[in-house]
Amino acid sequence: MLSIKNLTASINGTPVLKGIDLEIKAGEIHAIMGPNGSGKSTLGKVLVGHPAYEVTGGEVLYEGKNLFDLEPDARARAGIFMGFQHPIEVPGVSNASFLRLAYNKKAEAEGRDELDPLEFDDFIHEKIKLVAMKEEFLDRSLNEGFSGGEKKRNEILQMAVLEPKFAILDELDSGLDIDALRVLGDAVNKLQRADRALLIITHFPRILETIQPQFVHVLSGGRILKSAGKELAIELEERGYDWVLEEAATGGVR
Amino acid sequence: MTLAVTTSFLADLLGGPRPAEWDELREDAEARLAGRDLPTTSDEDWKYTDLKALAALSFVPAPRTTVDISGHLLPEMVGTRQVFVNGHHAPHASCASAVPAGVRFLPLSTASEACHSLGSLENGPEKDFFEDLNTARFEDGAVLLVPKNMKVALPLHLLFITKAETPVAVFPRLMVVLERGAELELVEEHHGTGTYLTCPVVEVQVGEGAILRHERVQRDSEDAFHIGTLKAEVAKGGQYHSRTISFGARLSRQQPWVRLAEGAEATLDGLALLDGNQVADTHSFLHHAEPKATSHQLHKCIVDGKARAIFSGKIRVAPRAQGTDARQQSRNLLLSEAARVDTKPQLDIYADDVKCSHGATVGQLDPEELFYLESRGLNADDARNLLTYGFAADVLRHIPVASLRRALRQLVMARTQAGSLGDLA
Repeated sequence: MLSIKNLTASINGTPVLKGIDLEIKAGEIHAIMGPNGSGKSTLGKVLVGHPAYEVTGGEVLYEGKNLFDLEPDARARAGIFMGFQHPIEVPGVSNASFLRLAYNKKAEAEGRDELDPLEFDDFIHEKIKLVAMKEEFLDRSLNEGFSGGEKKRNEILQMAVLEPKFAILDELDSGLDIDALRVLGDAVNKLQRADRALLIITHFPRILETIQPQFVHVLSGGRILKSAGKELAIELEERGYDWVLEEAATGGVR
Repeated sequence: MTLAVTTSFLADLLGGPRPAEWDELREDAEARLAGRDLPTTSDEDWKYTDLKALAALSFVPAPRTTVDISGHLLPEMVGTRQVFVNGHHAPHASCASAVPAGVRFLPLSTASEACHSLGSLENGPEKDFFEDLNTARFEDGAVLLVPKNMKVALPLHLLFITKAETPVAVFPRLMVVLERGAELELVEEHHGTGTYLTCPVVEVQVGEGAILRHERVQRDSEDAFHIGTLKAEVAKGGQYHSRTISFGARLSRQQPWVRLAEGAEATLDGLALLDGNQVADTHSFLHHAEPKATSHQLHKCIVDGKARAIFSGKIRVAPRAQGTDARQQSRNLLLSEAARVDTKPQLDIYADDVKCSHGATVGQLDPEELFYLESRGLNADDARNLLTYGFAADVLRHIPVASLRRALRQLVMARTQAGSLGDLA
């Protein structure tokens, strides 16, 4: 589904990604872990086309096509989604209106029927159950005054509405209490299917107990230092990141 | 009587007969006007607002006429409206049958016994040129009195409509008095066609613990000049919440002045949507005269084309006004290279135990917000239009009258090209 080859990227002229290789197939869940400032979030933002980052080399194929030929909105309509660590607040635009607009733009792109406000009302009421969101959050302005946890809930609601083929979730667990994390983790699991893939970006392994990846990668200094199965997450929980960094520095490969 | 009028502008307006009643008030105003002239950009308060285009025109007092108001009716206010056309009361267009007993909601011309306090706000600011013009020549206006502790459930609606075949001047007048503990929602709208000058003067007295919610909509014609004065005194523990929406007029200026007594609260929000060569100016003055009063002011402008917005927001905290909480924000969105905004917050604080904040931003849409919307599949144009709409709609969302809120949102959608995004209202 997604094939990343020797990807390099910079922000304001400073290299942040220094040669990433990653292969993600339909049905797979991958986790990118690593210390703060390692480039994890950058990888996600580069994939969805954040304008602050410049791709300086390498290639990314999404469903066999050059991802960088697509503008950010076209990537979204093609089924790519990123749940952000710090979702933006948009005053004056109701959450429900925004969700309906986003849904209809995607439906239009896929040649499906758009939903009118009444139809969408039924549709969205089913979706908010999935993420246990209170109805009042639909009428409020998009993310405005939402707590950190409410914003994350709203990101997963957007994911549930848009049903992306490939979703990147950046630090989903930050700002969430244990119960909310379980609810949102379960929601993400329900949305995952054999024809979809997930990339979980996280500093802490906690979230991987709910959303269980088949592959775990440690990213540091803009490179993937180590890739393994989900047992790597457990080892990172016990031992931290330093040993991976040391191992990479001495050229050791386990 | 003879009047030492120096300009043809004043001569045209003051040359005719003086309207009936309020002789003393009018004489005083005329005396002050006699030595004055239209403000120019060398007056500090008019530095950014050039009245040359106004001075170049000749206005005469507006004649009586009739208009079709069907397009301006709001369903919540079917039996609670007073309509004034060209400054004269329009009895056939008005309908006050649903106004609760005890509330006086009348034209000044038929309620003079109740209006002895007209023009008598005790601590008001120095009278402005256009306020004096109004006082000298207003034909009629509305008086609204809500008795002690009466909470009026239905919103009341005031429509001031101007129909100008040739350039005319109108002087709408409004006096609102809420006695202790009274509550009211009032919608004041200004509409019109043709070239005209309108100088509304609104006097508001909010009694102890009373609450007035005042929605003000300016949709004057694109050839109109609208220069309005609002003076509000809010007694102990009273609340005055106003929102002024400016869409129309070639040149508009709002001059709200609000004095807060102990523990009083005020909201003075504003939204201006400007395009073409429009100019919209707001010069506000919030006077925290006594302790523990709270004020919030959010003023937003969206400026496109060669339009120009001016905001000068003064907040004065008197020496004895300890415990004041005053927040002011001026936020401006420029949609074109030639658009211009001048914003000047001004805090004069003479007390030490106060919380005061102010901020002003002038700029384009936030790239992070644009990207967030694009990352959900909206193309760049749609994202821009949605954010522009949201910037404006933010000011409208707390309007309590649903039909008005919806109508204004739809107007904003049309003006921000957000119409293509479907119904967001």
